[in-house]
Amino acid sequence: MFGISDRLAAGKSTIGRVLIAFMALGFGSLLAAGIAAAWITLRNQQHTDWVNHTYEVELTVASARQLAEQAETARRGYLLTADQGYLEVHNEASRKLPGVLARLATLTSDNPRQQAAIAALRPRLAGLDAARERSLKFVAAGALNSAVNSFRAETGASSVRDVRARFEAMSNEERRLLAIRDAEQRASARTFYIVLAVAALLLLVVAVTSLSTVLRYTRDLAASRDRLHQLNGTLEEQVAERTSDLSRANDEIQRFAYIVSHDLRSPLVNVMGFTAELEDATKQLTSLVDRVEEQAPDVLTKEARLAAREDLPEAIGFIRTSTQKMDRLINAILRLSREGRRVVTPEPLDVAALTESSIAAMRQVIDDRGVEVRVQRPMPALVSDRLSVEQIISNLIENATKYLQPGRPGQVTVSATPLRNRVVIAVADNGRGIAASDHERIFDLFRRSGMQDQPGEGIGLAHVRALAYRLGGTIDVASSPGEGATFRLNLPAELQTVQETA
Amino acid sequence: MNEHQTVGIVMIEDDEGHARLIEKNIRRAGILNEIRHFTDGGSAIAHLFEAPDGPAKNGPAMILLDLNLPDMSGTEILQRIKAEDSPLRRAPVVVLTTTDDKVEIQRCYDLGCNVYITKPVDYENFANAIRQLGLFLTVIQVPNVEADG
Repeated sequence: MFGISDRLAAGKSTIGRVLIAFMALGFGSLLAAGIAAAWITLRNQQHTDWVNHTYEVELTVASARQLAEQAETARRGYLLTADQGYLEVHNEASRKLPGVLARLATLTSDNPRQQAAIAALRPRLAGLDAARERSLKFVAAGALNSAVNSFRAETGASSVRDVRARFEAMSNEERRLLAIRDAEQRASARTFYIVLAVAALLLLVVAVTSLSTVLRYTRDLAASRDRLHQLNGTLEEQVAERTSDLSRANDEIQRFAYIVSHDLRSPLVNVMGFTAELEDATKQLTSLVDRVEEQAPDVLTKEARLAAREDLPEAIGFIRTSTQKMDRLINAILRLSREGRRVVTPEPLDVAALTESSIAAMRQVIDDRGVEVRVQRPMPALVSDRLSVEQIISNLIENATKYLQPGRPGQVTVSATPLRNRVVIAVADNGRGIAASDHERIFDLFRRSGMQDQPGEGIGLAHVRALAYRLGGTIDVASSPGEGATFRLNLPAELQTVQETA
Repeated sequence: MNEHQTVGIVMIEDDEGHARLIEKNIRRAGILNEIRHFTDGGSAIAHLFEAPDGPAKNGPAMILLDLNLPDMSGTEILQRIKAEDSPLRRAPVVVLTTTDDKVEIQRCYDLGCNVYITKPVDYENFANAIRQLGLFLTVIQVPNVEADG
């Protein structure tokens, strides 16, 4: 029993620690996964912003380039046709271009390479613009040839190509950045997935481990409970078995005692009978000796006179006292066995009232001994044989008030407590106590403990034990010399009668 | 009164000492009837039912019976004596034994025993009981077996 509960307690604390550790680990990994996800999302957002920014820059580069191209194309068209429509297109494009360039400069303010490129582009675009204005003025003045000549004189196509190449370089730069940022974004996404996977794996491990721990613990618990259950079941069986063993042994002893005491009685009748005959004969002899002493003293020897007057009466006297004692002992055994063979009839008992009436019955003796006997109420319900319980309790109280510690007024307490389906009646005194070596012995027939300064045959407790067994109970004593004694009668709360043939 | 002299006493008692004490005390009460003593059940039954000078064949008798016998229980002899077809069923039977078990006493009376006496260990009581039994014997009327049979 102790082993199991110990193991349960130990298992409980270990399992508690393990579970707490696993739960902490699980929550920790969840938290880590959350933080990682938040961080990764933030990073992702930044990356996306950068990519968008790159796209915007590229778009702006493209639109600046388009405006530059448009202005150039419109000028050429105007040169060829002097159509006012071309002039308007040119003017429009030229007007817009600085704004777009300014915007591009702001967008790429973080990139020194693009800044440098813009800075390089600006004078060239301005150069182109100035050349265009010049040629346009010629056209406006109607000097078409001069316009064409100036156009031809311009570094012209080569400078346009240069601008074009620079725009292209800027676009390429942005594409390069885009590629880098794309790669970064993919890398961060990969990191995110890895973190997620690790967290998931960790969670899985924690979940599986704690689940299996809980399962194992539950299984252990169930097994322990089953074992306890089983033990409990067999315990009751064991008690029942033991009780029936005891009552069977008790029955056997009772029968044995009965037969033996009867067979002992038979020769005792002879011993006592013939002792009486001897006594009669001795009387005859004594009167004869008396007469002989009177009438013929010389015939009478000293030995004959001694034999008739002293030896014979003395011998007969010893035989008589011994046989009388033996008779008392045999009667005690007979009474014991007769009590043991009495059919017990269970009935509901008020133990407290029963105890008080027992005390009342021996009030005189108790008062003479100057002992105070208290009955502790309440007492649990008991179904048992009235006469037997009465005899046990009065015997125990009688004993408790009998063997006092000199110089200490006797105090006896009778109490009863329920113990599962049994009732324990305790009679506690503050008397002279019983040595541990005598705790078993005092329940044996004719055995007594301590100083033999009180009358008694050593039958009471043997009787009490026989009765207790008879009621399916047990009796024991807790005591040490000088410390008082407590007799505990353990009875089934409800006596089941076993029909027996006496 | 003549007939009284012919009533024999059959004592079935395995303990020689008890038998002697019983006989002594009966004699002290002034009873001079013949006392036949048997220490076992078998020879007692043989005498009761078969012997030519036994009670069944030869006149009335009173039976003193101990219940604890070596070869059979005294109740069995009682049963035989008091059986329906027994010639001795009217013979008075005094059970004189150490057994004071209530059940046993009841059983003996049920079987037809006339008196049940427990041997007291106290010798004075025992002697008195036997002497009174002797006095009882001086006035008891016993049916004649042969006249009946």
